Amino acid sequence: MSLLDEKIVSQLKDVFKGLNKEVNLKLFTQEIECNFCKDTHNLIQEVAATSDKIKLEVYEFQRDKEIADQYNITKIPALVVMDEKDRGIRFFGIPSGYEFTSLISAITLVSTGAHQLKQATQDFLNNIKKPVHLQVFVTPTCPYCPPAVIMAHQMAYFSDYITADMVEASEFTPLAVKYNVQGVPRTVVNETEFLEGAAPEEYLIDKIKASL
Amino acid sequence: MFELNLNLAQEIDKAQTFDLIIVGGGPAGLTAGLYAARYKLNVLMIEKSFISGGQLTGMETIENYPGFAEPVLGQKLAQDMEEQAKKFGLKTLNAFVDSLDLQKEIKEVTVGDDIYKAKAILITTGTSSGKLGIKHESEFTGRGISYCATCDGPLYPNKKVLVIGGGNTAVKEAIFLAKYAKEVIIIHSGEKLMAAAPALEKLQEETKIKVMLNSSVKEIDFSDMNNKKFKIEDSSNKHTETIEADGMFIFVGTTPNTKLVEGKLELEKGYIKTDCSLQTDIPGVFAAGDVIVKELRQVATAVGDGALVAYKINKYLSKL
Repeated sequence: MSLLDEKIVSQLKDVFKGLNKEVNLKLFTQEIECNFCKDTHNLIQEVAATSDKIKLEVYEFQRDKEIADQYNITKIPALVVMDEKDRGIRFFGIPSGYEFTSLISAITLVSTGAHQLKQATQDFLNNIKKPVHLQVFVTPTCPYCPPAVIMAHQMAYFSDYITADMVEASEFTPLAVKYNVQGVPRTVVNETEFLEGAAPEEYLIDKIKASL
Repeated sequence: MFELNLNLAQEIDKAQTFDLIIVGGGPAGLTAGLYAARYKLNVLMIEKSFISGGQLTGMETIENYPGFAEPVLGQKLAQDMEEQAKKFGLKTLNAFVDSLDLQKEIKEVTVGDDIYKAKAILITTGTSSGKLGIKHESEFTGRGISYCATCDGPLYPNKKVLVIGGGNTAVKEAIFLAKYAKEVIIIHSGEKLMAAAPALEKLQEETKIKVMLNSSVKEIDFSDMNNKKFKIEDSSNKHTETIEADGMFIFVGTTPNTKLVEGKLELEKGYIKTDCSLQTDIPGVFAAGDVIVKELRQVATAVGDGALVAYKINKYLSKL
């Protein structure tokens, strides 16, 4: 049985008509000891099948360790959404529920380059010269989470120095405990700064500044 | 099987002047959007969250909205309302409104670097769940204090959580949290729960949920995040006890979302004052739903407001 119903498939086909550049999805998975790997694999496969512009490559997390290391993949299921270049956009855990929109937004972002960042944000990001790692912890049932993920991914797309991960909190409990995630969305900036809620761009920029 | 929710941004031409811009996409805004679109008005609805529905999106189910014999999922009802309105031509934008300029004949809505213009404005920003008002509440929001059970419930598997409040929302959310948590304690300041009968009947069947009446949280001590302490006072005898729990979900009272119109529109106890046409003290600026001065705040009353205000706005615009 397919995960995407007819209605979603037709919505996706419609949205993906606007795709420009080819999108490369790199999925890291393994068959055992990974609760959501199979569902994630099926989901991504079905999404990729809705457009000729989307290419999917599937890697075995342990067997393809070199490639996993190259993309900084430390946990699975993991998905890299990129064009010909790695933009630092990652999904750790299944992008289901509300996060499905974050996934589709990331695909259109790398394909079209269209972001919504404010001019002041762009000016700030242009001057960043140090690495910034954003980890946005979410649950699939949280309607406030996708804006935080989409914003972080846009920043990663815009700046070569930024990487942005969606992390599904209930799949990576030790990590959620490490960063004290007791509410979502919670964005961890460079391990040292934390932002609660779907806050405006300026708030995240302030945290990035504080972390540098 | 898991849910998939897709909600992508529409392209909006910023240069045009809309007939109507609706600020806030809960049931009142969505209904007004549906009716206005059916009147063939050029209407844009701006919702700050990523999905429409307002407080509907944070509720698991709605049981008292007519037409649904079985409890309808809040998020489903919201999605269907939006889809229906969009079918008739409602345009939507999911973005934070930064400010409103309501005085001029053509009203302006500032969203980030963009300005959207309209002949009429409808404010349907609704209410937010109230704060408890205790020390350190804001500091620990998202770090053990939550106002959204559907968002944060999954983070408390086999944990012990407190639910503050005794209304329908508090009781329903406690039942929802019991799916994840091993123990839920409802703490209510009154001498009996105020929830509607169906929710109370369900509560009876729950073995994981305890209820403490005449009780309120006076202090929290989260200095050890693995051992959070809550000081609870019994109002009948002023006796206090300290409970340990992993988290606290607050569902008490409501606060009107009127920050955008403070000092611009006439308010009463924070709520927007309207006339019987749901027009505010500025011509061309209307308000509806939970955010206005009214007696009963329900999905059904918000929907009623939305229909009426769209009718009145259509009349107002036809006279310009």
